[in-house]
Amino acid sequence: MKTLLKTAVSLFALTASSAWAETVAVITPYLAQPGTQMAIEGFEAAASEKEWEVNVIDTAGDVASVISRIEDSITQNVDAIVIAVDPAQVNVGLQSAKEAGIPVVGLDAGTDPLLVANVTSNGYAMAAETSVYIANRIEGAGKVVMFVFDAFPPVQIRGVVADAIFGNFPDIEVLDRVTPDVSDGGIADSRAKMEAILAANPEAGSIAAVWAAWDQPALGALQAIEGAGREGEGIVITGIDANPQARDAIALAGNFEASIAQDFGAMGAAAADVVAGAMSGAEQRARVIYVPTKMVTANNAGQ
Amino acid sequence: MMQKLRQSGTLLGFVLILLFFALKLPDTFLTARNLINISQQLSMLAVVATTMTIVMVMNDFDLSVGSMASLSGIVAAMIFTAGYPVWVGLSAALLVGVLGGLFNGFLVSVVGILPFVATLGTLTVFSGMAFLLSDGKTVFGRDIPASFSGFARAGIEIGDIKIPMLTITAGLVIFICWCILEHTNFGRRLYAIGGNKEASHLAGIKVVRLRLYAFSLTGLGAAGAGLMYAARVASANPTQGSGLMLDAIAAVFLGMTMSRRGEPKVIYTLVGVLILGVLDNGMTQLRVDSYVREILVGLIVLAAVAVASLSKLRQA
Amino acid sequence: MSKAFGGFPALADVTLNLSSGRVHALMGENGAGKSTLIKLIAGVLKPDSISVTKDGSPLPLNDAQDAHKAGFRFIHQELNIVPQVSVAENILLGRDLPRRFGFAVDWNKVKTQAEEALAFLGATHVDVTLPAGDLPAGDKMMMKIAAALVSADQNEPVLYVLDEPTAALTGEESEMLFDVIERLKAKGTAILYVSHRIDEILRICDDITVLRDGEFVSKNEISKTSKVDIIQAMTGRDFKDAYPKREVPIGIDTIASLENVDTSNLQNLNFELRAGEILGVSGLAEAGQTQLLKLFMGLGKVKSGAASFLDEELPRSPSDAWARSVAYIPRERRGEALCLDMSVRANIVLPHLSDYGFYAKPWLENKDALEFGGKVQLKSSGSTQPVGQLSGGNQQKIVFARAIQGNPKLLLLDEPTRGVDIGAKYDIYLLVRELSANGCAVILTSTDLPEVLGMCDRVLVMQEGRQAHLLERGEMTSADLLSHFFNNNDAA
Repeated sequence: MKTLLKTAVSLFALTASSAWAETVAVITPYLAQPGTQMAIEGFEAAASEKEWEVNVIDTAGDVASVISRIEDSITQNVDAIVIAVDPAQVNVGLQSAKEAGIPVVGLDAGTDPLLVANVTSNGYAMAAETSVYIANRIEGAGKVVMFVFDAFPPVQIRGVVADAIFGNFPDIEVLDRVTPDVSDGGIADSRAKMEAILAANPEAGSIAAVWAAWDQPALGALQAIEGAGREGEGIVITGIDANPQARDAIALAGNFEASIAQDFGAMGAAAADVVAGAMSGAEQRARVIYVPTKMVTANNAGQ
Repeated sequence: MMQKLRQSGTLLGFVLILLFFALKLPDTFLTARNLINISQQLSMLAVVATTMTIVMVMNDFDLSVGSMASLSGIVAAMIFTAGYPVWVGLSAALLVGVLGGLFNGFLVSVVGILPFVATLGTLTVFSGMAFLLSDGKTVFGRDIPASFSGFARAGIEIGDIKIPMLTITAGLVIFICWCILEHTNFGRRLYAIGGNKEASHLAGIKVVRLRLYAFSLTGLGAAGAGLMYAARVASANPTQGSGLMLDAIAAVFLGMTMSRRGEPKVIYTLVGVLILGVLDNGMTQLRVDSYVREILVGLIVLAAVAVASLSKLRQA
Repeated sequence: MSKAFGGFPALADVTLNLSSGRVHALMGENGAGKSTLIKLIAGVLKPDSISVTKDGSPLPLNDAQDAHKAGFRFIHQELNIVPQVSVAENILLGRDLPRRFGFAVDWNKVKTQAEEALAFLGATHVDVTLPAGDLPAGDKMMMKIAAALVSADQNEPVLYVLDEPTAALTGEESEMLFDVIERLKAKGTAILYVSHRIDEILRICDDITVLRDGEFVSKNEISKTSKVDIIQAMTGRDFKDAYPKREVPIGIDTIASLENVDTSNLQNLNFELRAGEILGVSGLAEAGQTQLLKLFMGLGKVKSGAASFLDEELPRSPSDAWARSVAYIPRERRGEALCLDMSVRANIVLPHLSDYGFYAKPWLENKDALEFGGKVQLKSSGSTQPVGQLSGGNQQKIVFARAIQGNPKLLLLDEPTRGVDIGAKYDIYLLVRELSANGCAVILTSTDLPEVLGMCDRVLVMQEGRQAHLLERGEMTSADLLSHFFNNNDAA
């Protein structure tokens, strides 16, 4: 009984807030992931300048709960909702929001007609940047190993772009197009696959570059090359995402030369702008809004 | 007196929680729309928790329900992907649930492994199978037929109100479980097994067989909830059901604090489910931080169970 | 030394005088207040008023520690032991173990101390290094008494309270216990002895106090009282005899027959059981009595020989057995027979649920529970009362109500009156006689030899799982029967 009273008191304290501010619910199952977290922090920072009331809800991996929390937020009559989850999976919730006339904005979510817009990085552009970087570094000639993952759409589009760019250089040959097993994070299996490829191509210089659709396979390939003692051959490795481990590797100025950093903070800020527009009733034409990315090389990896 | 307080303490707490939210959220909480939302949000948990009650009546346990829910969703989705009609996918997923439950029952009652250990093992096995079948991917988009995911959107309209199909399904499952446990001799026997396994065996109850049946019913329920989940999110993911297990156990425990001798009952389990769901719904509306919310829910469960066990101690 | 107790709800103005060197019996039916009284002496329960005096001077008794300091030791009927731990450690349980260099446990000393305590009790055969759970029931009791003995670190025990000590013991083990009691007496300690077994009390006790419904009824020297007096004092009723006599002759139909039957743990079973016959099964502890009963419940496999029940094979499982009109009353009422948290009704109808069809029919169950509860003269507050709240005697009546509901052809009784008070015992005997008169065959095993001799027509003596003798009841005495437990050649 006492516990309940105490709970009640603490709830009153928690909910004391100004009644006039616009309220925005931010709902995601993936708050534990660094990228999502940075994007939401960027959103909160922008929102506090606009003096919005932001309620961040983490459903800890549970996608159905995202729908439930969208429904709760609709009941509570929030002014806008931001989701960081695949919109196809929470379609039921988006439908309800549409019926209630509450705008929903995607934060690195995916494109969906029920979203006002999705704010994200341009996967095509990121893949183009790294593959062109490789083509230029090896001067348009040599054998390239690709690490791809076509089962996951955001990563699949990266592979498509790289295929096109390498195909446009007549002297570049794609030696192998590897799909690593990602159940352990992707590094270990990528390393094993790369070791096999190195063993099959023993002559120095027979492999010119490794293009990876994200950082983990790039790190695995780096380990394999170092393990085989072939780091002196000048094999160029690139990744995408620029996670901290990748940045460290790039900063050492070894084979891992470049990756692309998404600007999650800017993504959050851009999403806040879209929300502001939607709440004021402005028409949002572009369904996808891209936030600029930044190439990370040995020169700026420490930043 | 103490007995009454112990029994009604949790119920009283539930009423106070309702009152609190009704006062704090006068415009939104006690509205038909919100209550229907809650019922729909809770439908999957309600199915898992009430079918879990069947094994808990025998003092057994099933930790594998969450991964079974994930597995059944994946099985259905893979079959949809292969181009078979919806009913094939549904039947296959439910069959997997029954078989998985039978396997649990076999380990527990024939081999004689403690339910906690046996179902902890199968939790990992089912989860591994879900990953293996799906390659760790989320199956969604065009692979999920609209007639399947549409079920989670459909409802029966009564006047202005639309009762969601998920709520109706959960209601049916609860009703069936209630009938089984309270109104059949099968249920009586399960309660007797929970009261004293050895005595039930010597009194001619087919303990081994009944435990097999009970576990397969729980497996079936978990698989059903997995399908409901997959329909609601219009996708299947090898981990999506894992959150259901702990909530289901918490709901049954909350319910046990309300019954006369601490035995699980379907109706009380339902109250347990409602407590958890109402707390989630109300606190989201009050914009309580999601982590603070988790702590509060945990504390409330502990408080209810503590009050029950303290008053039981004083009774003795 | 004397104690006086004031009022307590379950106990009103009871005075108990215990003298050193004498064994004082405390008797009464279940619910008469014996347990309450013991708990008061142990300091576990708080009375409204109590005065305890020792040698004329008052003694504080506020909690269990005070009781221990005063030199009171308790040995309960439930053998609460730690089964995984060695006998020696169980004996020294709860005390500081002897140490070497101030910290290391001196296991040699632990062993010696435990052995000394057992030697005093004459139980030198017990291996103190064995896990306590492996001991036979009698040795466990010795171990408990030894534990009570060694607890006398600084303060000598002045009083032992033995609560139903022989309930779990065989006749032979009981004899050993009685020897120990003699020795403790000779040491000058007082003993409070609680038991339902009047024959025992008459043999070993010096004084007796009888309680009924929480009130003091009588106090006397044993030599000045008799069995009939005691029963009358306890029950307030007249009893002509402790066991009702057979009135209907044994039938002709064969209910069961075993010829040279061996099972995995029983050998050489050879007997025929006729309708209405009551067959006793007796022997030393764990000589196979329970296994023999369980054989008819479908627990155990016939390996060789011919066995039949009602001209067919023996039942294959407990459910098959109940379905074929075998009723079983197991030895451990709480562990094997009852669901204590469940209602009287649920417990009575438990083996017969299939008779009610698929859907539960509470009204029918209720009717049957009332009918059969009435037949066994069950005293409960209603058919929904949890059986855990009932006395031992009434719990046993529930198990009997369950047995007679199926109209059994064969009734298996394993210690049917253990922990049952004398009034309920007699009701149970009457019930068994009535069933037998109606043609039900009965197999009864009991460590209470007078009970076996009082009720049975023939007695089958088992030795280490083997059928050693099949004796006619005749004029046999307990001592005669006991001698057959050891005797190998068939004298009958």
